[in-house]
Formats: sequence, structure tokens, C-alpha cells
Amino acid sequence: MLGFLLIWQSMVYFGYVSAKFLATPIQVFALLFEKFTSPNPDGAVIQVNILVSLSVALTGLISAIVVGVPLGLLMAWYKLIDRFVRPLFEIIRPIPPIAWIPLTIIWVGIGLGAKAMIIFFSAFVPCVINSYTGIKGTNQTLINVAKTFGAADFVSFLKVGVPSALPMVFAGIRIALGNAWGTLVAAELLAANAGLGYMISMGRQFGRPDLIILGMITIGVLGFALNYVFIKIENIAVRWRTV
Amino acid sequence: MRKTLTDKKPITAKTIFIMVAPFLSIGLLLFIWLLASNVNTELVPTPLMVFDRLLLIFKKPIGNMNIFGHIWASIKRVFIALFLSFSIGIPFGVMIGWNKTLNAIFGTLFELIRSIPPLAWLPIVIMWFGIEELPKVIIVFIGTFMCVVINTSTGIKLVQPLFLDVGRMFNANNRQLLLEVAVPSAMPAIFAGIRNATSGGWMVVLAAEMIGASAGMGFLIIRGMEFFDVPLIMMSMVVIGIIGAILSVITDYIERWACPWNKKLELD
Repeated sequence: MLGFLLIWQSMVYFGYVSAKFLATPIQVFALLFEKFTSPNPDGAVIQVNILVSLSVALTGLISAIVVGVPLGLLMAWYKLIDRFVRPLFEIIRPIPPIAWIPLTIIWVGIGLGAKAMIIFFSAFVPCVINSYTGIKGTNQTLINVAKTFGAADFVSFLKVGVPSALPMVFAGIRIALGNAWGTLVAAELLAANAGLGYMISMGRQFGRPDLIILGMITIGVLGFALNYVFIKIENIAVRWRTV
Repeated sequence: MRKTLTDKKPITAKTIFIMVAPFLSIGLLLFIWLLASNVNTELVPTPLMVFDRLLLIFKKPIGNMNIFGHIWASIKRVFIALFLSFSIGIPFGVMIGWNKTLNAIFGTLFELIRSIPPLAWLPIVIMWFGIEELPKVIIVFIGTFMCVVINTSTGIKLVQPLFLDVGRMFNANNRQLLLEVAVPSAMPAIFAGIRNATSGGWMVVLAAEMIGASAGMGFLIIRGMEFFDVPLIMMSMVVIGIIGAILSVITDYIERWACPWNKKLELD
């Protein structure tokens, strides 16, 4: 790790790689502090960029969870819903979220809604699929026990199906989180006026490798942090999980 | 979902509805689509217009290429990158999964780099290599490489100790343990990585082409946006979806052929 940083620093320092293409770690670090107060050159300080990106990603992600998880759960439990929704889902599924970008830009513009919509598409699919598999993997014996005790179909869905699917659901949300964060960058590269992805692309246009690398690292660190927070939530929510 | 269909049940309104439900939902989608296009044909072209756009591209190629040319341009980039990331990523993943020292050296570094989404590399790769063919391949390579390495190394790490112990009892040396026990038992995981990498690569290449390219499906779709040619956008989306689906079917078949002992496949 330290070795990597040293090699990186010296590569630029001694001129093996032109400084036009790669910034040294020290420069990147210095820029981080500069960006806290200075909006140059992309028009926003780094806190604002982070906030914009986070709000876009979380809006899209949460709406995908709210729609996708119940949909997947219901699809797996009720055959009727499955038959009705599945064709639509299978049509949407193979289209990569990034392919929606031009269409959403034309339809909704480049505001928060458009990006949230793109992120919604990227996070929606894993939510549905994992919830579906989760319910499908419910132990039939447990369902039968519930039935024996006279539980109505919907009650056994809520009290047996859903809890047993929860670990899978959470795994799906974690995948969705990763997807959402990855797609966010793409959405912001193409259509934005603030945000970390926008900051990177401005860095390219102004020929500022330090800005690009700072943006990349910030995105990486934030993605890592989000994932970490989420795992903590997951551990609390599915304490009974054995694997 | 499959097995209940054969049960003999009295035909009620519900069973009939279950049978027609898929057609109903697709019909509903088409209906909404047509309705929307009635309101504003500029923004939402009819399905027929989308299809006409596909025919038009054969008559009037964009950038001297008809649709197959663009598909091929994208696919080629994905394949080159996938080939590279398989041939480098799988051995690398096996290495860091098997050897603890190597894992300590490269593993952490790799974890750090991995948390940067592949698309975030786009600007800097463009800065380094321009917008020719090479940077796109590199971007797709970065995106797919991570996926392959992660899955491979996890697969190797999770090999059942029992299998390895049995191998040791039969006096297998380290190399044999790796090649004849660990790698085959990690095959399903490796293939899961390959599958994810293929679909991920298909997505990343689109993004790379959207930023700057003169051929490929991503180029087509972004051109549709620039010229306000919504039928072209939708046509490209449909084609992209179909290609993505075909790719995933192909990888499924390869997986089934390469590791038939993988039971997970039967579960759908």
C-alpha cells in the first residue's frame, strides 16, 4: 500500500510520467483541502458535489427498493402477479440502465429526477430478482406449518415468506447499492451540472488530472462507506441469519 | 412456478386469467405506449416508427455502417476486453485466492481500487489514451477484470477444507491440490464471475461509446439524443437489450457445457 503510493509519487516526481497526465498523491491530497473552500474549476465545493451525488443515488436507490422489493416478493408468492408482471420485467431487464440515459434526458431533462430514474433502473432489477429468489427459497415445511395452524395465505406470506426471504432481500439491496453508485457516475458524466461525476468530467475538460483522481478516490471511498453502513444495518435487521 | 401448471384443476375464472395474464400485460404496455405517442409523437414515437427507423438505417447507414456494423463494433470491443480480462484475471484471482502472501500484497491494493466504479475511470482513461479504440477496450477491461478476479479468488478461498484434506491424504503436492482440487471446485464461482463480467462489460462499453466514439451502439443512442431522433434511441435500446439477452444466454450455455456439475443452474 505505502509502496504503491511511493511508486506513484516517484513516477511523476522523477518525470517518468508527464505531470500533464498524472498527479502525485501529495497534489491530490492538497487539492482535497483546497476543494473544501474553493469552487474552482467545476463550480462547486466538494461538499456540495458529494451531497448532490449522494442525494441522487439515494433517491434512486430508495425508490427502487420501495417498488422493487415488494414487487419481487409478491411475484414469487402470487402466481397471478407473477404471470402479469414477469413479461414486462423481462422486457426491461436486459436493457442496461445506461442505455436509458439519452431517453431520460430527452424526457425529463438533466435534473435530479432524470438521474434518479436512471439509478432506479439500475437498482430495481437486483431488488426484484433477489426478493423473488428469497421467497422461492422459503422452506415448504414452514409454509405448511403455517397453513396447518390455519394461517390465511396472506398471513403466511407476511409472517413466513417475508422473514425467510429477508437475507436474500438484503443481499439484493447491497447489489443494488453497488449498481446505483456505479451508474451514478455514468449519469453524472453525461448529464449534470454538479456532483462527483460532473467534477471528474470537468477535470478532464480542464486537463486537471489531480481533480479527476481526487474525484475517483472520493467516489471510491464513499462507495465503500455506503457499503459498510449498509452491512451494519443488514446485520441488525437479519440477526437470525446463520450463514 | 413450472410444476404447478400440470396439476389438474377445474377451470375457473382465475386459471383463465392466469393463462392470459402475460398477453394482457404486454397488451397494456403497448396500449399505454400508443396512448403516450398519441399525445406527443415527438417524444414518444409509436412502435411502428421505431421499427421503420431500423429499416431506414439499412438504407441510410450512419457513419457508413448499418446496424450490424455498429453492433459488431461494440461486440468486438467487449470481446477483446473480455478475452484480456479472462486471461489475466483468472490466473490473478487464483493467485491471490491461493497464496496468502500474494493476497496480503495485492489483495488490499486491489480492494482499494475495486471500490472505484469502472465508469469513474472513463475521464482519466480518455485523458491518457484519447478516444480511439484502445481506451474503450481498457475501460471495459477494468470493469470486467475486477469482477473476474473477485469471483475467482472468492471461489478459491471457499474451497471446502475437506476436499483439500482428502487431496493431501492422497499425497497430492501443492500444485496438484491447486489444479486438480481447488480450481475445479471453484469453477462455478469463476463462471459466475464470467457471466457478471460479460453483462457488465456490455454495459460499460455503451457508456464508453456514449462519451466519445464514431461507431457502436452507444454512439448510435447518443447520436439519437443529439439529433433529437427518439425512434433511433428506442431502436438502439431494443437492439442493446436483445444483444444483452443473447450474450447472457450464450454464457449460460458455455457454463452448462464447462461445468455440468453445477446444480445451481437448474434452479433458474
